[in-house]
Amino acid sequence: MRKALLTAFMCLCISAPAFALDGNEMLEKVDRNLNPESFEMYRKLINIESDGSKKEFVMYSVKKGKDKIASVFLSPASEKGRSTLRVGENMWLYIPNVGKPIRITSLQSVTGGIFNNADIMRVDYSAEYNCEKVEPADDGHILHLKAKTNTVAYDKVKMRVYGERLLPDKLECFASSGMLIKTLYFKKVKDFGSGIVRPAVIETDSPLYKGYKSIIVFAKVKAKDLPDEVFTLNYMSKVEGLRK
Amino acid sequence: MKLSLRILFFLIFIYSSIPGYIFAEDKSSDMIDLDFEIPEVEKKPYSFNAEFKLSETIRGFDEDSLLFNQKYPEGRDDDTFFQTDLNLKVEGSYQIGIVKLYARLNGELYYNDDEDWENDQRTEEAYVSLLPSPSVTLDIGKKVSKWGKGYAWNPAAFFSRPKDIEDPDATLEGYYAVSGDLIKSMDSPLRTVALTPVILPVSGHINDEWGTERDILWGGKIYFFAFDTDMDIMFLIGEEVEDRFGADFSKNISVNFEIHGEAAIVLDYMKYITDHQGNLTEKKYNAKNYLLGIRYLTSHDTTYIFEYFRNGQGYTRDEMKDYFTLVEDGYQEHINSQAMAKLSESRQYGSQFYNRQTIMKDYFYLKVSQKEPFDILYFTPSVACIYNINDKSGSVTPQITYTPITNLEFEIKTSFLLGKDYTEYGEKLNDCKVYAAVKYYF
Repeated sequence: MRKALLTAFMCLCISAPAFALDGNEMLEKVDRNLNPESFEMYRKLINIESDGSKKEFVMYSVKKGKDKIASVFLSPASEKGRSTLRVGENMWLYIPNVGKPIRITSLQSVTGGIFNNADIMRVDYSAEYNCEKVEPADDGHILHLKAKTNTVAYDKVKMRVYGERLLPDKLECFASSGMLIKTLYFKKVKDFGSGIVRPAVIETDSPLYKGYKSIIVFAKVKAKDLPDEVFTLNYMSKVEGLRK
Repeated sequence: MKLSLRILFFLIFIYSSIPGYIFAEDKSSDMIDLDFEIPEVEKKPYSFNAEFKLSETIRGFDEDSLLFNQKYPEGRDDDTFFQTDLNLKVEGSYQIGIVKLYARLNGELYYNDDEDWENDQRTEEAYVSLLPSPSVTLDIGKKVSKWGKGYAWNPAAFFSRPKDIEDPDATLEGYYAVSGDLIKSMDSPLRTVALTPVILPVSGHINDEWGTERDILWGGKIYFFAFDTDMDIMFLIGEEVEDRFGADFSKNISVNFEIHGEAAIVLDYMKYITDHQGNLTEKKYNAKNYLLGIRYLTSHDTTYIFEYFRNGQGYTRDEMKDYFTLVEDGYQEHINSQAMAKLSESRQYGSQFYNRQTIMKDYFYLKVSQKEPFDILYFTPSVACIYNINDKSGSVTPQITYTPITNLEFEIKTSFLLGKDYTEYGEKLNDCKVYAAVKYYF
């Protein structure tokens, strides 16, 4: 009996990390399915108010590695030239009028509306989260993600992935208190070329912003070789120069 | 003309205050065309941006204050001062290969009862950049170099003009200089090192704010990014100016909490001090300036910016009392005998040394802003407070900014100055100010 219990205990000890590793591998695969490691993209952010009125922002972004992303606003005119940089959990905002980068935090929002800075400057999920549990779901899995540090915007995330390509279609983001902060819906899978097939639209709603909705539409997502120096404070005012 | 302009201003003011839904397009998210072409995707070699601002400023004079008596010893007919401003800021750039041209021009037309219509134009920035690679940049021309991590004050911003404490985010005018950026990123705990050398020529024709003697100012900044912390070390040296050295840092402690600091030393700083009789003395010493600050965001989207500033170049309470006594004596002398000598002397010292912002030693700054309260998007009320620790005077400035329509911003700000006699804010020219502005970006 003791032998059987010991064997069962050892099996559990061995199987638990293996299961977690599978989940983390799946998470890394989700990251690579969403975008190459080093790439550029254009995004339109649309904030829709409860009365139907909307405000739009267009951004050009470049990302390298798991945790480096730089963006610049191309429109509207009031935001043009503002750039953001994220390296790991460090975030900065450069406003041309102010003339120098200032540190910002992930829970602030440079655009207003439901999106916060962590949503706009999203890095790889596997850079911020560990997968604690994988649950089977209809035609896919639910990954239960836990933030690696307390500097990550959402303490827990429930990600539903589907199909052979392991693309996400729904993400629920929770605070450490367990409160649902927002839900992201991944829609309209599109072939961007060079093997990049991913949702072209992310729609977000939040119980904290009843009746409001925010949407990100992706365009021209393509691989691009970028030097590390692009992801530095001194380069923030020059990010737009990377556009061809 | 003046009246019609003000009517026009307030019509625009009311128009911009109308809630956004009046202009809303009746579109639900499901009806939005997501298969769109982004027009901005096609890059052009040139870019052009402009900001038009119409504003009205009303100042309520403090007729009992010493600086009011210093400026208007005969008094004024009215105790309020109105100014209407039309401001156009235009910026443009053009890039050919590795060469980029950039300019920002600021033109202002304003009207007030004292001066009638006046105008002012200046080139805030105009420079050529050479961008051979992302790690190397060379800039030649008039450019703003803003250093330091503080929000309200930047004691380590050696190559900048002073910020307006009432509007710390306002654009500044640059200096003519040659500067560069050399950036090196590494895959190590020290992730980035960047060197920013600056050479600033000074003469009677160029950068004469630094002096009229021919001189060259040498300066530089080394930036380090390590252990999730930004750090800078900077210096400025020259024959005709006081050498200065400084350092700053900034770090995010958590998702909603940032700390920052700056320190600078100005070697052999010369301070000019008047006694209550108007005798001017010089005091030479190494002035140490520093700042510590935080930025904190609560779970209710309230942002707190709090800073403490030690101004080593500032005046002590006793030194300011001497200056105020000189002003008061000069005013009394003028009232009693129409003599202007002492009052003129105090005016001269005021314009050269004393009548400036943040003129004393120790200050607190607090700004509290609430993002989009009552579910009103793009609406941000805030209040900014400056407190002079040395004489217990200060100012409180509630403010509202609202952008109901894309590219149209509405701002209203009211400042109240509080302080007893012989204090910095208690003796300012005005004791309240209302500022309303409409900005349009295109």
